[in-house]
Amino acid sequence: MMGINQYVKKTTNAAPLAVFRICFGLMLFGSIIRFWNKGWIESLYIKPTYFFTFYGFEWVKPWGEYTYALFFICALSAFMVAIGLFYRVAISSLFLSFSYIELMDKSTYLNHYYFISLICLLLVFLPAQVYFSVDSYRHKQIRAQFIPQWNIDSIKLMMAILYFYAGLAKVNSDWLWHAQPLSIWLPARNDMPIIGFLFNYTWIPYLFSWFGCLYDLSIPFLLWNKKTRIWAYVAVIVFHVLTALLFPIGMFPHIMMVAALIFFSAEFHQNVMNRMVAFFRLPIEKQQPSSVYQAPRFLHWGFVLFFAFQIIFPFRYLIYPDELFWTEEGYRFSWRVMLMEKAGYAQFTVKGGQGQQAVVNNNVHLSTLQEKMMSTQPDMILQYAHYLCDYYAKLGFSSPQVYVDSYVALNGRLGKPLINPQTDLAKEQDSFTHKTWILPFNDTIKGF
Amino acid sequence: MKKYLLIVLTGLIWACGSNGTGTEDPTPQEEGKDRKAILSHLADQVIIPAYANFKVKLDAMLVKSEAFSNQPNATNLAAFRSAWIEAYIEWQKVELFDFGPAEKQTIRNFFNIYPANENGILANIADPTSNLEVPASYAQQGFPALDFLINGVAKTDEEIVAYYTAPSDGAKRIAYIKRLTSRMNTLLDKVIGEWNTSYRDTYISKTGLDISSSTSLMINGFVLHYERFIRSGKFGIPSGAMLNGVIAPEKVEAYYKKDISLVLAKTAHQAYVDFFNGKAIKTGLEGPSIKTYLDALKAKDSATGKNLSDIMNAQLEATKLKLDLLRPNLFEEVKSNNQAMISVYTEMQKTVRLLKVDMTSAMSITITYTDNDGD
Repeated sequence: MMGINQYVKKTTNAAPLAVFRICFGLMLFGSIIRFWNKGWIESLYIKPTYFFTFYGFEWVKPWGEYTYALFFICALSAFMVAIGLFYRVAISSLFLSFSYIELMDKSTYLNHYYFISLICLLLVFLPAQVYFSVDSYRHKQIRAQFIPQWNIDSIKLMMAILYFYAGLAKVNSDWLWHAQPLSIWLPARNDMPIIGFLFNYTWIPYLFSWFGCLYDLSIPFLLWNKKTRIWAYVAVIVFHVLTALLFPIGMFPHIMMVAALIFFSAEFHQNVMNRMVAFFRLPIEKQQPSSVYQAPRFLHWGFVLFFAFQIIFPFRYLIYPDELFWTEEGYRFSWRVMLMEKAGYAQFTVKGGQGQQAVVNNNVHLSTLQEKMMSTQPDMILQYAHYLCDYYAKLGFSSPQVYVDSYVALNGRLGKPLINPQTDLAKEQDSFTHKTWILPFNDTIKGF
Repeated sequence: MKKYLLIVLTGLIWACGSNGTGTEDPTPQEEGKDRKAILSHLADQVIIPAYANFKVKLDAMLVKSEAFSNQPNATNLAAFRSAWIEAYIEWQKVELFDFGPAEKQTIRNFFNIYPANENGILANIADPTSNLEVPASYAQQGFPALDFLINGVAKTDEEIVAYYTAPSDGAKRIAYIKRLTSRMNTLLDKVIGEWNTSYRDTYISKTGLDISSSTSLMINGFVLHYERFIRSGKFGIPSGAMLNGVIAPEKVEAYYKKDISLVLAKTAHQAYVDFFNGKAIKTGLEGPSIKTYLDALKAKDSATGKNLSDIMNAQLEATKLKLDLLRPNLFEEVKSNNQAMISVYTEMQKTVRLLKVDMTSAMSITITYTDNDGD
């Protein structure tokens, strides 16, 4: 107990958290500008007529043309977080707006968006503004040179969880024994300059798979350990640059490369800061040498609960029968990244009471991305089926029944039906219990 | 002099050295994964020669149509008609290349959207300035419109000839045939011209698999062609398999000529199989293709160890057997033997799944088109 008490009281230089705030804020600001610039707000959140909401968050929907305002708020908040202006308000608004955006449509779900939301949530309660910020420049009373050690450790822990769980998820027979899906994805890049020819070799995907798995499992520890840190960071750069070159995963590699700097020492960050001050000729704020930021006590328990949840939640898949990759029950929010090449085809038939029957043209209701995502994920198939039921009811079908002819291929296996074609999906309800209308996988993927 | 010798010697050694490594054959597998080789083979041995063959048939049709226009009589009509049939059949062998120049010119939309819009055609005859470039005009031109004009405007050949010799409107009608055939000629020339100049190099150089790459565009066009134009267009829609079982025999291809509809479908299907297997147009030999690429990727059914390409070829073969059960006139088949039509559709549906899900997934290609089933 003594150990814990001492740990909680331990303080450290506030510089790493301040640098993290600046980098994180700027990266997010850049991400949103990029998103906007690519026209994705329009194509993902305004054009589609239907959106796949998250269970329990059905009220979270795009705001039509005003969705741009939402992104503007998000970008502005990110920028204010970076410079540390009205920090608590800005980070709260960043957390809320970013999470809201990510909850609007399941088809755009990405693990790293979830990661960003979680980091934002942590930052709401962390004193990232007490040092090297506009706030601390303007208000002497909030300045502090030192903050509790656990404040910085909690960011590190969150990153460690992401990496370690992503590594754990790779400990499975598809990834390690069959090098899937990399055996499918890497040959696709065999026309890359210089390294492309490598992807023609069958052993290369194995090498990448094993390296990726070991990297994810070990990198948090190697970054945490002072002796290995610098080499670990080199590995971070190599790994993420490679993934950025090979796969269309947007900002994620860049965010991780920058975020991993949090593991470096206070002196390192102080140095970075001094350089920034010199380069931008910033008015230097004189810290009172011994000022220490005191975190409110309730936060301790809040953080304990938060991390307990983070550690347990990804294992929820264990309570579901059948193969996780097939049913995807408990798949999201668990750091399962790049694990599956899954493609599918779902053709819906709606039948009405008076013998009406229609084969649905998904194109009318969904965007290409939405259709692609829906056709392999049972919960989305069900959501869409309910939407179709309502839609055809309005067209005059009495108590419409909705059936789906589905076909899904997973990690190089030949495709097969995912959903029982005899099930009237209009009658099924979504819940956290197992979906009995998912046909059995009849294969095993061993491991986590 | 010494220096000169040295340079020559080094050059020779280097040449031998590089030659030595050059002759070392890459393993068949590595070769099979070379998309440039596949794209080159498909462009040079399949696509460009297929267009050239079609051009010959279309030119012949133009000659016969010209003769008929100059002198509308039963003999010229029969000659025109048989040239039209031959060109229509040959068209089935190029319709599937719906990417690159063909997609740019939307040649399919102008060549083969059926059923023909009779009223539209009649209106265009009356108004020679009508716009044939807009989507509304798709069904008023190309092979289906000619089908109507040389097979459907009257019952007997005599009456058809009379339709074009009519003192009042005959000339206008002839003019419309001329307008259509010369438009087809212009469009095809554009497509062939692009293939023969810049597009061929663009095609074989964009070797990536991103959405703007040749392979991705080609596979998207290839899958779409089967799903929408072979499966739905030729069988799904006329048989009613896609619409609540409501049959629509008038929506078969070559509705007015009727007895060539099966030949057209079979030709299209065979061309599809041949393209998949990379069968060279002139030599009939198979070369680098989607099939060899899938094999090089070792795409197989993990449960049985069977190659995906073999599974696909077997499925295409099974479909062919169903096609063989049909009689030449699909219009009649829909009316009297529709179950056989539906069973072709069902068999094709299985192929669509293999193409759209298994093949694209194995190749790591994203389907970017959206199908408009159920329209």
